[in-house]
Amino acid sequence: MKRRVVITASSAITPIGHGKNEIVRNLAAGISGVKKLKTDDLLAKHIHSGVFGTVDYTIDYDFKRQYRKTMGPVSYYACQVAKEVLEKSGLNNEFITSGNLGVAFGSTHGSPTVQRNIYKSFFSESPDSFGSIGAVDYLKSMVHTTAVNITKMFGITGRVISSSTACTTSSQSIGFGYEMVKYGLQDAMLCGGADEYDTTTVAVFDNLLACSTEYNETPHLTPRPFDENRDGLVVGEGAGAVLLEEYESAKKRGAAILAEIIAFSCTNNGGDLILPNMDGITRTIKLGLKDAAISADAVDFVSAHATGTKMGDAIEAQATGKVYGDSPVVSGLKSYMGHTMGSCGAIETIISIYLMEEGFIAPTLNLDNIDARCAMINHAQKHVETDIRTASIQNFAFGGVNTCLIIKKI
Amino acid sequence: MTRDAIRSEINRIFSEQFEIDNPGLDDDLREAYEFDSIDAIELLREIEILLGSELSRAEKKNAMEIRTINQILDYIELLAQSRS
Repeated sequence: MKRRVVITASSAITPIGHGKNEIVRNLAAGISGVKKLKTDDLLAKHIHSGVFGTVDYTIDYDFKRQYRKTMGPVSYYACQVAKEVLEKSGLNNEFITSGNLGVAFGSTHGSPTVQRNIYKSFFSESPDSFGSIGAVDYLKSMVHTTAVNITKMFGITGRVISSSTACTTSSQSIGFGYEMVKYGLQDAMLCGGADEYDTTTVAVFDNLLACSTEYNETPHLTPRPFDENRDGLVVGEGAGAVLLEEYESAKKRGAAILAEIIAFSCTNNGGDLILPNMDGITRTIKLGLKDAAISADAVDFVSAHATGTKMGDAIEAQATGKVYGDSPVVSGLKSYMGHTMGSCGAIETIISIYLMEEGFIAPTLNLDNIDARCAMINHAQKHVETDIRTASIQNFAFGGVNTCLIIKKI
Repeated sequence: MTRDAIRSEINRIFSEQFEIDNPGLDDDLREAYEFDSIDAIELLREIEILLGSELSRAEKKNAMEIRTINQILDYIELLAQSRS
């Protein structure tokens, strides 16, 4: 059984806004959501990178205590976008709780804020310190906390997938959700990812010399995907969720159809856990096109992973150029908000849908001088009004995981 | 600590920790306030702080059948007596 799979609702919390209107407005105006890294009592003062893609606005959560008690900050984000998606979808409670709807949702490592408090008690001198670990701390911090807080809040009883593959977390969520619906294992899947403000992740990338450090006083000028003067990635926070449904039933119930997912590919480099891999990325893009049964020239827009690292951007540009030539317009959306980690695949898919709907391509911010090693593709350097019919969303993660999602306007 | 004083502390804990204000003495906490097993474990930690003493595993297990505020007060009185 192979069924068509469509996206019928979406929602995102990002450093450039919450919800479509604000995000599109900032994309169109070229406004960055990268700010200074906030101080904390743990790591911030040791970190060389002083920038972060920050969600610095208030979100009016309206969750009952019964739900809040098992939620860390990452689950607040996750449940908020999930709630908005289910509200927009118009699905009734009978379907939501029927077992025909599943959840594929993840984060990089649960809630580091809660984990940090647990670790504090481990290292406390007090003999009673273990008693300070709350009964719900594990539920708030565990790797699949986002997925199961969503199932709890909405009474969802279908399959649960909670990938936790760093930067490919939520592209895998959407991809695996797509396969669930495509092959008839679920009729609908609520998919996405979230990550909260956390200096631990910045410290990890900082130690690996992967973070941007030269723009600490001018955060909006970094990251600089594909630019000669790029100096690394900027860690960010956020959340994105989409509802996937089987096409015929979505059409029958009169659901808004935002886009069709026509392909998902996922590979591993089979070796190094950090270095980007030309063959792995090339193979992933080609497998995506094969799954979609389209030729490379059918793709109008590529949302590149484009974190702003020296090597990652060059390898991605070369692999993309090898498959596509200079035909599709390529933009690096992380230039607006930094690398939102576990949520980036979902957020970039949602933004690609916004661009399809609004008929423009948001250029890669800070791409002033294209690096010669990245010059073989058609970079978006200015705002272009155009009709995007088919878009490819590329994401790559530590651990050598590569994904490609292809979506199409219908 | 008198029963009234314990009740006052329990009311404070329920209000601050569980957002449940002035629960009835014989209300079934699960049915009336969705007070579940996770909340019960959190409450035991609060009781330890109240008594200034760690509860044994056996004492904690004895708490698992508790359903009402009155039963909580009985439980704490017994714990306090055993520690006096």
